[in-house]
Amino acid sequence: MLNRIIRIFRKDAKIAIRDAMLLYIIIIPILLAVGILLFAPGIIDTSLKVAMLETDAKEHIEYMENYMQVELFSSLDEVEKRVLKRDDVAAIIPLEEGYEIVLEGNEDAYIASSMETLNVLYELGATKENTTAEIYSFEKTVPPLKTKLVNMLILMVIMLAGMIISLGIVEEKADNTVSAMNVSPVSQNEFIIGKSILGGSVALGSIIISLLILGYYDINWIMIILVGMTTMILTFVVGFLQGISSTDVIEAAAGVKMMLLPIAGSIVGYELLSEKWQWTMYWSPFYWSYKANDEILSKTAVWSDVLLYAVIVFAISISLYFLAMPKIRKGLSKS
Amino acid sequence: MKWFSTYIKEMKIASRGFYFYVEIVIAVIVLIILLVAVKEYPESKAKEYIYYDMPAEMMEQVMEKEILEGNIRVLEDTELTLKPTSFELLDKETGKSEAYDFMEEKSIMAKTYEVINQETGLVSQTVYIFDQKEDMIRLSNSTGNMGASIISDSSGTLSYEYYIQGYETDRFSEVLYILHTFVTDDIEERMNQQTIREIGGTERLNSRESVIPVYIAFSGALMGFFIIMSYVFLDKSEGVIKAFAVTPSSVWSYLLSKTFVILTTVLISSSIVVIPIMKLKPNYLLFYLFLGVSSFAFSSLGLLVASFFDSISKAFGVLYLIMIAFMLPAFSYYISSFDPFWMQFLPTYPILEGFKGIMKGEADVSYVLLYSLVFFLGGVILLAFANMKFKKTLTV
Repeated sequence: MLNRIIRIFRKDAKIAIRDAMLLYIIIIPILLAVGILLFAPGIIDTSLKVAMLETDAKEHIEYMENYMQVELFSSLDEVEKRVLKRDDVAAIIPLEEGYEIVLEGNEDAYIASSMETLNVLYELGATKENTTAEIYSFEKTVPPLKTKLVNMLILMVIMLAGMIISLGIVEEKADNTVSAMNVSPVSQNEFIIGKSILGGSVALGSIIISLLILGYYDINWIMIILVGMTTMILTFVVGFLQGISSTDVIEAAAGVKMMLLPIAGSIVGYELLSEKWQWTMYWSPFYWSYKANDEILSKTAVWSDVLLYAVIVFAISISLYFLAMPKIRKGLSKS
Repeated sequence: MKWFSTYIKEMKIASRGFYFYVEIVIAVIVLIILLVAVKEYPESKAKEYIYYDMPAEMMEQVMEKEILEGNIRVLEDTELTLKPTSFELLDKETGKSEAYDFMEEKSIMAKTYEVINQETGLVSQTVYIFDQKEDMIRLSNSTGNMGASIISDSSGTLSYEYYIQGYETDRFSEVLYILHTFVTDDIEERMNQQTIREIGGTERLNSRESVIPVYIAFSGALMGFFIIMSYVFLDKSEGVIKAFAVTPSSVWSYLLSKTFVILTTVLISSSIVVIPIMKLKPNYLLFYLFLGVSSFAFSSLGLLVASFFDSISKAFGVLYLIMIAFMLPAFSYYISSFDPFWMQFLPTYPILEGFKGIMKGEADVSYVLLYSLVFFLGGVILLAFANMKFKKTLTV
């Protein structure tokens, strides 16, 4: 049995290498990880931005640079053009007496009040030396937004593996290789396991490489692998179901779009719903997977919680597997 | 008008397929989610943990004043769970670290208040007041929310200790320092004397409405790109494109009809979501023009990419990378401080901006028309290239 599973795995690996599919599954997450590494500092630095005139007093510009990202312009016209651009940038312009704050008008309220406060503090000559505040730091280096992006990347890789199974089966059906499998000694279970091993191992490998690139060396790897594997069971079942029930590539593509809904919905629900409404997402295994990864990546996870999340994801996945099994078997027999 | 009869035939085939209805069902689901689950003005999820190091009466006076002024609202006490953890805390001034080690899980009750934004009347953050400073520090570390101690000396002068995570920018720390250099009354008096001038539109999209441009851009343009490729690969596998070589109909009319099938689907699914949410706010003439030309351009791009491959598996990498790249402007859309120059060259950037302006009802008409022209011309050029490629090979 093991031999036959390995043979299917090797056949799929050969096809995947020939079609460059394997390369895509490995390279795409790594490229995305590099993208996160490059873009994350820009995304994470949410300091206020202010437009100022080059002709403004040097000490005024330097003072503001301590607290905001300052952009300098040579004329008032250019400053106003900058303020009118799509992002929330206000301007501080020197008048004959005092300063004027220029806003577009649709900024968040805190932007205007922050500009006013900082400019008043400058006018009052406030310096750090007079402060009554002390700051203590936990010295964490990974910002939560980076963790969220990485968490989304993990779900995306898992979904990618499911998508590839789905599209692969549709193409195998078109090539009649599934029918050929039916008259070979390979059982349907061996076929399913053999096809899943490739997607699963490559996806897991991509996740590990991506996490290493992104600097997550000291997370609990066993927890990440456990949650990744339980979530993958679900995407593979869905991938098989979509592949079997789709008569052509259009239907498989529609299935992919349908699968995006619970994944995106789970992330949005976890991030945006208030605590009293989080229960509305408990049905989704992707919610539990995202929650578990969030805690693991932020190094706040404890084994009891992670095991609970993994059991929930596994229970939902395995229930769906048993529910879907007759349909998958029927689909494979008919193909 | 061969393309039109081909289009009618393609629409009939599409309407018998699963995908057409999936698009409509997804649009209806998105509409229901937006109407039911997404509040127009959601309450903030921001949390802050505070420990008052002062006599209980003094703290009560401070809170009562805030309640009377309508700045905060009292909620029921909250039960908070403190997980086992260990960490170090660095004093940024002295550079000395202190180690904390908590082995046992613990539950505590914390007084809870909602901070109200006076201008909008919405909750800006939830504040938890702790009896023990150590609990506040512990929870701040494990949840990633900011903690603070407010200390009163014997003369009643207040000083502050902030507990930050460490990944915040230096500017953030500098702002915390500078905010506590003068008495608040001084600042407020001077703030009222500041001159403020507004030079643009004041209309903002609420949380529910702000999802619409992203939905249209990604569901319409990007999925149009993906789906038209799937249509072409299906027809390739069934030999439909080869069959065009022996029919009086041209490949051009086939490609155009495919594009119009996508356009029709996108128009229907977008309308299902946009009209009930936005009602009469947008300029629908501009909306449908922009939606039409942007979907046309992306469908043409999909056709061109499809012409280089003979199956979706082989095209998958290119397809996926293009889609990911085109999704990047969504970060700029939601995080306005992240707006790198290069991002503006991605076609989804002007699409999001254009739809945002149209949805606000105060679109820059010249901007929308300019990009409509760019997308139209771009679409025609891409379609012409795709046509050349398909005509040359017929099967590839």
